[in-house]
Amino acid sequence: MELEELKNLWEGMSDRLQQQEQHTKKLLEEITEHKYQSKLRMVKTSETLGAVICFLGALYLILNFPKIEPLAEQIFAILAIVLLFSLPVISLMGLKAMQRLPVSSKTYLETVTSFRKSRVQFIRFQRLTVSFGLFLLVISIPVLASIKGIDLSTTEHFWTLTFPMGIVAFCVFAFWVLKSYTKSLKAAEQLLSEINN
Amino acid sequence: MNRKEDFTKAIQAHQGLLFKISLMYTHNLQDREDLYQEMVYQLWKSYDSFNAFSKLSTWMYRVALNTAIYQLKKSKRTPVTTAIDPQMYHIAEHRDQADEENLKRIYSQIQKLNLLEKGIILLYLEAKSHEEISEIIGISKSNVGTRISRIKEKLKTQLATN
Repeated sequence: MELEELKNLWEGMSDRLQQQEQHTKKLLEEITEHKYQSKLRMVKTSETLGAVICFLGALYLILNFPKIEPLAEQIFAILAIVLLFSLPVISLMGLKAMQRLPVSSKTYLETVTSFRKSRVQFIRFQRLTVSFGLFLLVISIPVLASIKGIDLSTTEHFWTLTFPMGIVAFCVFAFWVLKSYTKSLKAAEQLLSEINN
Repeated sequence: MNRKEDFTKAIQAHQGLLFKISLMYTHNLQDREDLYQEMVYQLWKSYDSFNAFSKLSTWMYRVALNTAIYQLKKSKRTPVTTAIDPQMYHIAEHRDQADEENLKRIYSQIQKLNLLEKGIILLYLEAKSHEEISEIIGISKSNVGTRISRIKEKLKTQLATN
């Protein structure tokens, strides 16, 4: 079958749309009466929950800051607070930017291009977040130990077993995440280069 | 006629195009319904921006196709392969078994095209002129012809290797 034949079948498809009519009528009533809520603008629950957890973590560090000492741990705490506040804010801002819908002012080509560009940026940011996550994990341990009054040097097997195992587990997870992101990134970049050809 | 009645008539007259776009850009019934609703909603929201000097169907294609892209943002990724849509089996009533098999094959290959190619081929299947495709997609008329030829070649190659 050639594409031309599919074209003929495609044109004949409109005859089968009768069943859609009733559905469209009801939908039009909902939309024109402002009873319809767009699903495209919704921020996903997982992203909101992630941001709330980060903010609570930052708040916990701020409230317990007077307990943290010496200076090195205080610097780590400040870095952790900055990361816990900034990463979710950047992520939510990026998400909000992706949700702007200039559906009638842009051509299809412009929309496809900006879709893929924002996808590339999003994936790069996610990769960066994974790296910051590892950094956050490392600096949080002495900070939390300081808040709880635990001397890590006296904790059995902490530096020799528990800590290295935590790092290895995170690295395996980060590698898996980065691998899947790299695949998506390549696909997104390939489309951008195809558009330009 | 008021705005609401005007809009309702426009949608009812062109619901076929919305249905076909939702069929082309989704991979299951739930996504299809979501996209269909979203396209109608976005059309209603931007109805005031419709310039009466341009063709209504051209404007509708642009808004609907752009909404389909934004819907992909929501689902975050496009599956590389897709199951054959049962509704595609029935786009024409009188076909033999061989026709049906071929139709399934060609439809699954179209689903593998990139977003730009998919948009162009959809408008081609809708029998739009090169001029209208150029206006909706945002590429020159001569480029439309070139791209359609390339897509046809690509589909032929894909069909030969699958």
